[in-house]
Amino acid sequence: MTLKKYQKIKLAITIVLAIIFSQSIIYKNYLIPLATLIIASLGLILLRRQVKEVIADERDYLNAGKSAGLAIQVYSWVAVVAMFVLYAFRDLNPAYEPIAMTLAFSTCLLMLTYSLIFKFQNKTKFSQNKKTFIVLIIILAIFASIFTIDYFPEKTIGFVKMVNG
Amino acid sequence: MQTKIKEYRAKLNLTQDQLANLVGARRETIVFLEAGKYNPSLKLAHDVATALKTSIDNLFIF
Repeated sequence: MTLKKYQKIKLAITIVLAIIFSQSIIYKNYLIPLATLIIASLGLILLRRQVKEVIADERDYLNAGKSAGLAIQVYSWVAVVAMFVLYAFRDLNPAYEPIAMTLAFSTCLLMLTYSLIFKFQNKTKFSQNKKTFIVLIIILAIFASIFTIDYFPEKTIGFVKMVNG
Repeated sequence: MQTKIKEYRAKLNLTQDQLANLVGARRETIVFLEAGKYNPSLKLAHDVATALKTSIDNLFIF
């Protein structure tokens, strides 16, 4: 399979996924998008193996790294500004507070994940001691999950109840 | 940075696509390399030089 054909198929799959996702959300079915996402990912992995040309090289990885860093910065700034604005106007609508908190936590989680992955890449690239870092990251991820789950239920449930009236 | 990749590639009658396949890069990367718009890694520079049967010093002029 040629690279162009693979890219066309990938684009088609993305379009189909977007349609399925939007329709599923409208009909409040969350199982179908999850199943299609898994199937599509597996399909793309299989197709990728059949491509004999080089799909990405060091220049793409360099660009990907720069783009990811910039995307994180842009998202963080937008989220933080939006959080402050929403938090400042929380008296106008009580729904603003959980949204602001969600934005704040998502930004923190994004930065934490980025830092951990960066640290992991930085350390393991030059050493063989990968297991210690993997264990450390799993522990931190568990702590982050427990903290997030612990904080969010009442906010989330309260928000859902408020939306449903 | 200037490169003599195009020159050496022409000597060996290689297309950009062929050179890209030889060094495990995309054709666009070879285009950028030839235009002197991309600083390759030492490995890629070495691979290109080997594929073009020359040395890094001869290919890249800083």
